[in-house]
Amino acid sequence: MKPPSPIPEPVLRRARPLLGTFVEIRASGLPASRLERAVEKAFAAIVRVQALMSFHEPTSDLSRLNRLAVRRAVRVDAATWTVLRQAIIMARASAGCFDPSIAPVLQRHGLLLGQPTVSRADWHAIRLLPGRRVRFLAPLTLDLGGIAKGYAVDRAVSTLRRAGVSCGLVNAGGDLRVFGIQSAPVHVRHPSRPGAFFPLGELHEGALATSAPTYVNALIDPRDDTICARGISITVLAPTALLADVLTKVVAVDPAAAPRLLARHRARAVILDTQGRTVWLDAASFRHVA
Amino acid sequence: MRFTPFIAGSTVAIIGSTSGFATEYLTVSQAQQAIFPGAAFTDAAVRLTPAQVKIVSEKSGVRLRSPDIHAWRTDTGGWFFVDEVLGKHEFITYAVGLDAKGAVCGVEILVYKESYGQQVRNPQWRAQFAGKTALSPLKLDKDIKNISGATLSSRHVMEGVKRILAIHETAFAHS
Repeated sequence: MKPPSPIPEPVLRRARPLLGTFVEIRASGLPASRLERAVEKAFAAIVRVQALMSFHEPTSDLSRLNRLAVRRAVRVDAATWTVLRQAIIMARASAGCFDPSIAPVLQRHGLLLGQPTVSRADWHAIRLLPGRRVRFLAPLTLDLGGIAKGYAVDRAVSTLRRAGVSCGLVNAGGDLRVFGIQSAPVHVRHPSRPGAFFPLGELHEGALATSAPTYVNALIDPRDDTICARGISITVLAPTALLADVLTKVVAVDPAAAPRLLARHRARAVILDTQGRTVWLDAASFRHVA
Repeated sequence: MRFTPFIAGSTVAIIGSTSGFATEYLTVSQAQQAIFPGAAFTDAAVRLTPAQVKIVSEKSGVRLRSPDIHAWRTDTGGWFFVDEVLGKHEFITYAVGLDAKGAVCGVEILVYKESYGQQVRNPQWRAQFAGKTALSPLKLDKDIKNISGATLSSRHVMEGVKRILAIHETAFAHS
């Protein structure tokens, strides 16, 4: 085994309360003053995603869509557009296991503030129109909580890279991405005992997201409103944090159908139960299933 | 993307079942320079009167745990506060910078510590953090632990920021 490459000094580590959690950024490979500026820009990129896609912020693109898009086409920022397009692609590919119009379901379970709208419509009713305009064909309430956090992590990583950072990590409360020569040792929490960790492995040039009902049971099947993934945690390893974020929900809702989608995105998932038993879903298990 | 599992088997062992982990991001003086680069700081620590404590709690809607406020004045007219959040399992020290107009211009986490033993509730355990950020840094934890349960404690920090705004308005803005 080859010895691990040295991390270029200095390493800058910062954490701020953002995206409803703590966001940690680590960066190295530049002189300290340039690292400071790069990390500042990366946090700014996350703040921007939060301002555009927050469910609770009345001036966000998302809130404007939820208020207005059923009546008229609403123009959104390029970042919001990208996330919506990805959300619809993933909703279609997962046959609705992931659905950005999940907000009323989360509201009924008390996981999101506000009165749920009564609507039978789902992501099919979202129309993306020319000129970055969005229209709902039926009353909908979108929540991008299952995708925007991953996207924010990806944006922070590309901001760091553009600023010349050669090695770093962005971790938004369990949605993390690592780049450069340094790999990240990954530990996943015990699904019901948050003080206990399972060591999983080393992640290099990639992203991961973990969904677990340890603290709140936010894993709900948008198709029939049922709670899923009780007593297990799901970790997805993927090339981008956006994909990892979305795919954890797909695995939670339909673990049997997930391997096909995981394989298509060069992603893998590991399901961990309270006994520490692991089940890997990846291209190999897809071949096995198929 | 490349992933190398630690163990090839299908069962992994639990680690750290009673311990926790700590990360120190910034010392107090590093946080001062991160939020107000190049500024000079004057200690402006204060103990609020019971009447001020009441006003702050009413204004911010958040209970004030201690009347002792760790504050600094910058030579640029800004204010710098250090406060802490004690969650069920988390101990978080954070800093808030306010500009000359009293608007938030920076929030930084100084220390994030998680513990699942009894230590968090233990005053002696806590005492080691009192002012320690300026003295001896904690041993840095090289492991990645997904802070996925941090939703609640991050909310507490945001409430703390609101409380600091109320403290500033009540006790400092007119000084």
